[in-house]
Amino acid sequence: MSDYKVIGHSVQKLDAVEKVLGVAKYAADIQFPGMIYGKTLRSKVAHGVLLSVDTGKAKALPGVVSVLTGDDIPGSNSSGIIIKDEPVLVKNGQKIRKIGDPIALVAAETEEIAEQALRLIEVKVDELPAVFDPVAAMKDDAPKIYEKGNVLAVRKIRRGDVEKAFAECAVIVEQDYQTQMAEHAYIEPEAGVAKLDGDIVTVWVCTQNPHYDAKEIARNLNIGLNRVRVIQATTGGGFGGKLDVSVQVHLGLLAVATRRPVKMIYSRHESIANSVKRHPFIMKLKSGSDANGKLLAFEASIIGDTGAYASYGPGTLTRSAVHVMGPYEVPNVKVDAYTVYTNNPQAGAMRGFGVPQVAFAHESQMDILAEKLGVSPLKIRLINALRPGSFTGTGTELKDSVGIVETLEAATAGAKKTMELNW
Amino acid sequence: MKKRGIGMASMWYGIGNTGLPNPAGAYVDLLDDGTVLVLTGCADIGQGSTTALAQIAAEELGVKIGDVRVVSADTGVTPDAGASSASRQTYISGNAVRMAAQQAKSVIVEAAAEALGVGVADIVAADRMLTVRTQSDKSKDLVDCQAECQIALGLTPGTDAKSISIVDCIAKCRAKGKLSLGHGWFNPDTTGLDMETGQGRPYATYAYATQVVEVEVDTETGVVDVIQIVAAHDVGKAIHPQNVEGQIEGGCAIGLGYALMEEVQVKQGNVATANFTTYVLPTSLDVPPIQSIIVEDPAVTGPFGAKGVGEPALIPTAAAIANAVYNAVGVRITDLPITADKVLAKLQLQG
Repeated sequence: MSDYKVIGHSVQKLDAVEKVLGVAKYAADIQFPGMIYGKTLRSKVAHGVLLSVDTGKAKALPGVVSVLTGDDIPGSNSSGIIIKDEPVLVKNGQKIRKIGDPIALVAAETEEIAEQALRLIEVKVDELPAVFDPVAAMKDDAPKIYEKGNVLAVRKIRRGDVEKAFAECAVIVEQDYQTQMAEHAYIEPEAGVAKLDGDIVTVWVCTQNPHYDAKEIARNLNIGLNRVRVIQATTGGGFGGKLDVSVQVHLGLLAVATRRPVKMIYSRHESIANSVKRHPFIMKLKSGSDANGKLLAFEASIIGDTGAYASYGPGTLTRSAVHVMGPYEVPNVKVDAYTVYTNNPQAGAMRGFGVPQVAFAHESQMDILAEKLGVSPLKIRLINALRPGSFTGTGTELKDSVGIVETLEAATAGAKKTMELNW
Repeated sequence: MKKRGIGMASMWYGIGNTGLPNPAGAYVDLLDDGTVLVLTGCADIGQGSTTALAQIAAEELGVKIGDVRVVSADTGVTPDAGASSASRQTYISGNAVRMAAQQAKSVIVEAAAEALGVGVADIVAADRMLTVRTQSDKSKDLVDCQAECQIALGLTPGTDAKSISIVDCIAKCRAKGKLSLGHGWFNPDTTGLDMETGQGRPYATYAYATQVVEVEVDTETGVVDVIQIVAAHDVGKAIHPQNVEGQIEGGCAIGLGYALMEEVQVKQGNVATANFTTYVLPTSLDVPPIQSIIVEDPAVTGPFGAKGVGEPALIPTAAAIANAVYNAVGVRITDLPITADKVLAKLQLQG
């Protein structure tokens, strides 16, 4: 059945008209009578223990409706997609692990009053030595960000006998690579509104996963999941950066505490400074082939700086370990991928999830290998490309829809139309 | 002097979470007037999932795209569809919506089969009609069998009613007290990865891509200018080709920024680039012509063969640019981003 009536047709997108007319409602556009505004007080130190938070002056400021600290959380004071290691609000006696950790929330009649109140909160912190380099963080004598150590996860791939296979290789390419921390830069900074409807907490928010948000709100507010309603507001991009909780739980806490509708909008600065980032990677790759260019062995180590909290870190490093040999069949594989805590901003999901980093490395390797062998970049890839029946590094047999060879051919043919390509 | 070079890079990308269950659910309600409500937890963040899911429901039910309304990402009324991440929603929620649509459709197809005197397998849904499959759609044996049945029933083969509108069929169902509702959920066929060897089945299907990039490098300044990008992506089946092209173009722009300019600088834990004057993004002036090529190698388990494209779109770009820079001036940069300073320093080392 190839004669589809709707599939494969570029129909008008269902949200096109409202966006083009500018009538789509983003969270910042949502208004309710009596609505107040929330702001977050954040840590200025990267590593320490919170000794005290004095909210007296802030609470006394006219126009301030509520000031909340870590003592005011009815349920669990933790959140996180994979590991619940992030504090909702750092509590007295608890650890601060990065600049920007939330310490207190203010709700006030206007945004300006809320910001003024933040400046009146007095915080005392016992500062601890910090570590910002993931390689240093892995050493035994590094400052411990967590009791159990700074290496959060190690993902190993083992297939065949790498040592034996490298000994049989005609050509070996060994190279170190590094990639930088990157920002999603979605056009809409984080924003949301919360409101009580009877005993239901409703939160409108820009998000990539409303059901996850609802679960976190229920845990932190200690209410039934069926009493939380998260409605995704029209969302101005995410690219992985709106998978983590930003304003959701804070909004819920303030709405319950004040019983008034409450809105939070991050400035661009607050968004970039506190949202998750693309993991910077430190990689070492070793690829070996026979004299014809057929890959025989591949070895890699990857260190990903996940910053102060796990977020999607272990998932990112696992995905990078699975993909680091590229779309090629290699019978002997050894990979070690480390997710490492530092006192840097936390890294999490970002479009590509660890694969853009490793693709930069494995594709550089393929070109270096091709040059050593005197074959074209196209040929080295065609020799090694996965095909139906190939086995991946995880020992998975690929059966259908293995289109890598078709993309190599299509891209080359496309390039020949407009480039002087001599492959 | 300005020197040009061409670079190629490929990628693969497993669709969905790695070696973990990551199901999605959906509800479909085929309403009295033949319009359709799709309830899905899937968050459309601009990538176009709402439109793609509506297309899948419309195709399966045989209605027009304008007949479908999608209510999405509201935990008060929609089922959990998991995250809009891992390039998973077209594949996973797409399957869930299709299954929900099939269940709703089965109620009206049964009524149509009864009204038209054929088996349910002989009914196809398209253009708001339920129609008996034409000869070209089915094997000759089936046609002969149908003709035999019709003769046995005293009918003239080939001259009886061949179709009924979906609305009429729904009315027949309602007259008997039958609602045309469906729910579906889909979880990709994966296994966990062994902790010591990483062996297992992390994904049910993979997307693939190859990009070819032409750059121009200024040997006096080290500045790299991307001249053009050709991007071929195997998406299984493009549900909405223009949207796939949009994803590819947007991905190339992000990949270009990642390759050449974007870097969050952190000093002692403090983000030193927390605004757009210091965190430099590509603009329309930086993004070159992009030739998007959609390759369709259908996935057996995908809805209408679809896989995903959201993340694959950007993955090869930085690598292809790095290889093109080497091809242009013989300088291999092994740490991103490929700034003019780094290129110039290596060019000067070459002498």
